[in-house]
Amino acid sequence: MTSQDSVIHQDRVEALLKGEKVDQVPLFHFIIGFCARNVGYSVADMYRDPEKSFMAQLWTFEQYGVDGGPDYGYASYGGWEFGGEIKFPSSEWQQAPSHVGFPVNSEEDLARLKTPDVRTAGSLPLAMEFSRLQDKFNKPISVVLGGNFSIAGNICPVGTLCRWMLKRPEAAHRLLRIATDHLVEVVQYWADSFGAERVIPNLWEPVAANNIISPRQFEQFALPYIKEANERMLAMGIKHILYHICGEQNMNLPHWAKIPMGDPGLVTFGHEVDLNTAINYFGDSCLILGNVEPSIIQNGTHQQVYDLCRQCIDKAKHAPRGFMLMSGCEIPPMSPPYNVYMMKKAIDDFGHYS
Amino acid sequence: MATPERTQELLKGLHDAVVEFEEEKTVELSKAAVEEGVDAYDAIMKGLAWGMETVGGLYARHEYFVPELLLCADSLYAGLEVLRPQLKKSDAAKTEKKIILGVVEGDIHDIGKNLVKVMFDAAGWEVLDLGNDVQIDRFAQEQQRTGASVVGLSALMTTSMLAMPRIIKMVKSQNPKVAVMVGGAPITREIATSYGADGYADNAGEAVAEADRILKTVRDS
Repeated sequence: MTSQDSVIHQDRVEALLKGEKVDQVPLFHFIIGFCARNVGYSVADMYRDPEKSFMAQLWTFEQYGVDGGPDYGYASYGGWEFGGEIKFPSSEWQQAPSHVGFPVNSEEDLARLKTPDVRTAGSLPLAMEFSRLQDKFNKPISVVLGGNFSIAGNICPVGTLCRWMLKRPEAAHRLLRIATDHLVEVVQYWADSFGAERVIPNLWEPVAANNIISPRQFEQFALPYIKEANERMLAMGIKHILYHICGEQNMNLPHWAKIPMGDPGLVTFGHEVDLNTAINYFGDSCLILGNVEPSIIQNGTHQQVYDLCRQCIDKAKHAPRGFMLMSGCEIPPMSPPYNVYMMKKAIDDFGHYS
Repeated sequence: MATPERTQELLKGLHDAVVEFEEEKTVELSKAAVEEGVDAYDAIMKGLAWGMETVGGLYARHEYFVPELLLCADSLYAGLEVLRPQLKKSDAAKTEKKIILGVVEGDIHDIGKNLVKVMFDAAGWEVLDLGNDVQIDRFAQEQQRTGASVVGLSALMTTSMLAMPRIIKMVKSQNPKVAVMVGGAPITREIATSYGADGYADNAGEAVAEADRILKTVRDS
């Protein structure tokens, strides 16, 4: 692929964000650990060394014809930033940084909790270094964070947050207030650093999935905070918000549809959500991204992956605001490379617009 | 000594207190059962465990979610703390089914495993909980040490689920008569079979029945 090809890839995403037509369905990846394997780095390198992380993704994206990214971030965001402890991946079975200790384990801890300095907290200096590389290489500027509810569920154990919702709702609301203010402060820091119009917050919300909470609990404890945070981000000049609506969230979709995501927003889904359903809820206001099942990419045959990609493309190719092919969550690091290539091949075979 | 009517009232009360996650009430009723001479084994199995069975049904029908389950479990354990010390030796011996549970190496997500543990505790199994991020060789070691008849493996991450076939092989090569079951968000029955597992549960509510089924299958094989 030439540097001209690279421009074409980036142009596809930018064209969709401007409401323009593209020649083919763009390919969007969240694929950090796989890139480490692909270029011979450790998975931990991808999280503790922004330059290695950025270059490994850049090289892998060139190899696999990816249109979006690169990005820096992980699902456990929030614990380290508020004073907890995480560990970087150190074995073949680990995919991303994970919690060792939570900053909040009791209401007493919560009473002492304050929003941290976004310039120095946890992974944020590394994320900022990564974004400076995005800036240097003229790539989209992203800041990857948990959604409000997931940040709260990383500051304290998810079980504690669940218990508080039912027995001590005021504690749950206090935690969510802190998580929300922190999220907006981080995005403001990025907006101040690069210009709000260039920053696309990339927010992941696995903890609010219906595998854990009910749609009613989502309405009470997640919706108001997510909506407020997005409104504040858009008010500061952010144009597009990417939300990964992770896992089984079918029952939450009517609530998600009330949340402003920008014009257009970008919404990505776990494989549990049918893309036709996603288009019904979000197609008029958002780019649709998704949603090839990650465990099939890792464990299935290349034919299974190819078929799933074709199904996704057939369903969503003509979504009103556009569609990008993506996995339903991060592509597992141990995925067979030929399976990952199937996503590009499926686009080459079925993703062109006449 | 409680009358049959009073006994039924207490058992129903224990059931309801678990379902409605009223922890203090569960403790009060458990103490009342002990004081009034209700058999502790009956209070557990026909009161608390019955409650968790109802809770499992509510979860399967999407009327309860994880927050409710966790609080129901808190009530269950609060009741068990009162009632277990009162079990007669002969009743304690009824707990002959033993399971080892753990989240596999590389994975710290233990809510699912914890809910499965609750269901086994409620059903009267002896549970050895190894926690999360459990080194792969530890499952076989603990099975050998304890003689557990079932080993249950959990994973949320697609990367850590890859440890499962190796663990299953270790356990089975040590003792083919040990039943192994797996579960977790990225696991399907097809994947479980391909990994060499005897069983799979889609959710905590199905886990005990599946363990009973595979235990019989493995023993009869």
